Amino acid sequence: MSTAGGIIRALNSGVKHLAVKRFTLRYPEQKLKFVGDGFQFDPQTGVGIAGLKGRHILFHDKCTGCQLCSVACEGIAEAIGMVKVKETWKHNKKAIMPQIDYGKCVFCGLCVDACPFYALYMTNDYELSSFTKSALIYTPGQLAVKPNISQDVEIKIGKRGATHG
Amino acid sequence: MTTQLPPGIQLETVDDRIMTLNVGPQHPGSGHMRLIIKVDGDYIVSCDPDPGYVHRGEEKMAEYRNYIQNIPHLERPVIHDSCNILYPYCLAVEDLLGIEVPERAKYIRVIASELNRCVYTLYWLAIYGIFLGHSTMFMWPAGDRELFIDLLEAMSGARVTHAYLVPGGVRNDLPANFEERCLRQVDYFEKRIKEYQAIFYQNPVLRQRTEGTGILSRMDAIRLGTTGSVLRASGVDFDLRKKEPYDVYENLDFETQVLKEGDSYARSLIPYLEMFESCRIIKDALRKMPKSGSVRTKLKPNPKGGNDEAYRRVESGRGSLGFHIISNNRPEPYRVKISVGSFRNLICIPYLLKGEKLGNMPSVYWSLNYWPVEADR
Ligand code: SF4
Ligand code: SF4
Repeated sequence: MSTAGGIIRALNSGVKHLAVKRFTLRYPEQKLKFVGDGFQFDPQTGVGIAGLKGRHILFHDKCTGCQLCSVACEGIAEAIGMVKVKETWKHNKKAIMPQIDYGKCVFCGLCVDACPFYALYMTNDYELSSFTKSALIYTPGQLAVKPNISQDVEIKIGKRGATHG
Repeated sequence: MTTQLPPGIQLETVDDRIMTLNVGPQHPGSGHMRLIIKVDGDYIVSCDPDPGYVHRGEEKMAEYRNYIQNIPHLERPVIHDSCNILYPYCLAVEDLLGIEVPERAKYIRVIASELNRCVYTLYWLAIYGIFLGHSTMFMWPAGDRELFIDLLEAMSGARVTHAYLVPGGVRNDLPANFEERCLRQVDYFEKRIKEYQAIFYQNPVLRQRTEGTGILSRMDAIRLGTTGSVLRASGVDFDLRKKEPYDVYENLDFETQVLKEGDSYARSLIPYLEMFESCRIIKDALRKMPKSGSVRTKLKPNPKGGNDEAYRRVESGRGSLGFHIISNNRPEPYRVKISVGSFRNLICIPYLLKGEKLGNMPSVYWSLNYWPVEADR
C-alpha cells in the first residue's frame, strides 16, 4: 500500500466519525444507571448481591454494635470508628454504631461482607465530595439516610455507534 | 594540588560529546520512573532505567493483614488490571488453604479477568497513541474502554479496583441480564476495534516510526527473561493461558498471537490482536458457563494456612504475574513475593535503546508494556 493511500485511508476513517454519535457521557446532566440498589451481602449463603459499591447505608434497627465491620476495616483503610449513639435499642446494649470516614474509605465493601446481621449495605450514591474533611465523616445518623438519586442513562448501541442515553 | 575526595566517591569522567539526559520521573512520557539517557548528538549511547519512585511496600504490607484484608491493597499496583493481579493471589491462597472453587465461579473469574485485560490494553494503547502524538488514538481507546468498565461495574460494583476475586470464588453472582448486555457490548467492540486498523496500525506515519525500531531478537527475548507481549512479539509462543492453563482456560477456545519481527510495531500489535482473543474467550465462557450454581466457597472466619508455601502465576496484561506466599500457621501470610511482568520487561530497555535515535525512545519504551507502579510494587 502506498504511503499516500494509507494516509488517505486513515483520514477517511476519521472523517467517517463525523456522522457517528457522540459516546461521551455528559456527566452532571446525565447519570449512569447502575444494577440494583447497591452492593449487599447475604451472610447466610456467604455470597454478595451485585450492585454499585457507593456510600453505605446503616439500618439502626438491625445493628447490634458487634464491631465486626470496624475490625474488618482495620487492616484495610481504618475508615470505620465505633461511636456512641443516643437512642438505645434492645439489641444494641452498648449503644455503639459505626461511623465511616469517606476520606479514608476505599469502597471495597469488605465491611458489608463482615456484617452478620444484615445491617450494613452499600448504595448507589457516589457523589460524596465536600469542601472540608470533617464533612466526609458520616455519623450513624447520616448513614441511616436513604440517598435520593436519579440515574437513568445506559450505554445504547445503535447503527451509528454506541451512545449514552 | 588535587582535592582529596571522600572514600567511595567517584568523579564521572566527562566526555565532551556525550550529554546525559534525565527523562523523568516527572516527565509525562516516562510515568513515575526515570530513564538516564546518554546521547551523542541524536543517538542514544546508553540508557539506564531507574525505577522505584512509586514503591509502596505491598509485599511488606501483606504480612500484617489476613488473607481477606489483603485483597484491596494488593490490587493497587495495577488498578486497570486489578482482576488479573488478584487472580494469582487467589489461586495461591486457595492452594494454601485447600479450598475448592465452584465451577461457575471459575468461569466468572475468567470473564472478569478477560474484561479487565481489555480495559488495561485499551488504556495502554491510548497512552501509546499520545506518546506518538496521535491524539485520536488517545480518545478512541479511552472512550471504548468505557464499554468494558461498564460491564465490570455491573459485575463487581466498582469501575476500577473491583475487589471482585476472592480466595474461594468471586464476591457476588452476575446480575440479571448480564449475559445479554455483555454479548451486545463485546460484539459492538469487536466491530469497533477493526477501525483502529486504518487510523493507527495501517497508518504509514505510525509504521515508519515504529517498524524496525528497537528490535529484540528471539534469542535475546529468551535470554533477558522477558514475558508477555514482548516475548510473543519476538516469535516465542508462550502464553500461560495455554502452557499452564489455570481455572477453565483449557476448556476455552482461543489462540495465542505470535509475531516474528520483534520491533516496536510488533510489540504494539500483539496486545491489539489479543483483544480479539479476549472477546472470543468472553463469548465462549458465557456460552459454556453453568447457568446457575454457587459462586463462592464459604471460608472460615480468619482462615489460617499451614506451614506451607504456594506459588501460582497467571498471564496478565503485561506478561506472567506470580505470587509466592509462605504461611506459618497464622491468619496472616509470613511472606508474600509478587513477581511482575513489567519489571522483567524493563531490563530490555538498555539493549533496545542503544544506537537508537532519541526520538524513538517513547515508542520503544512504551511498547514494552511497562507499568511503573506494578514494577515497583
Ligand atoms: S468499604 Fe472497605 S474501606 Fe470502606 S469502610 Fe468498608 S471496609 Fe472500610
Ligand atoms: S454494622 Fe453490622 S458489623 Fe457493624 S457493628 Fe453493626 S451489626 Fe456489627
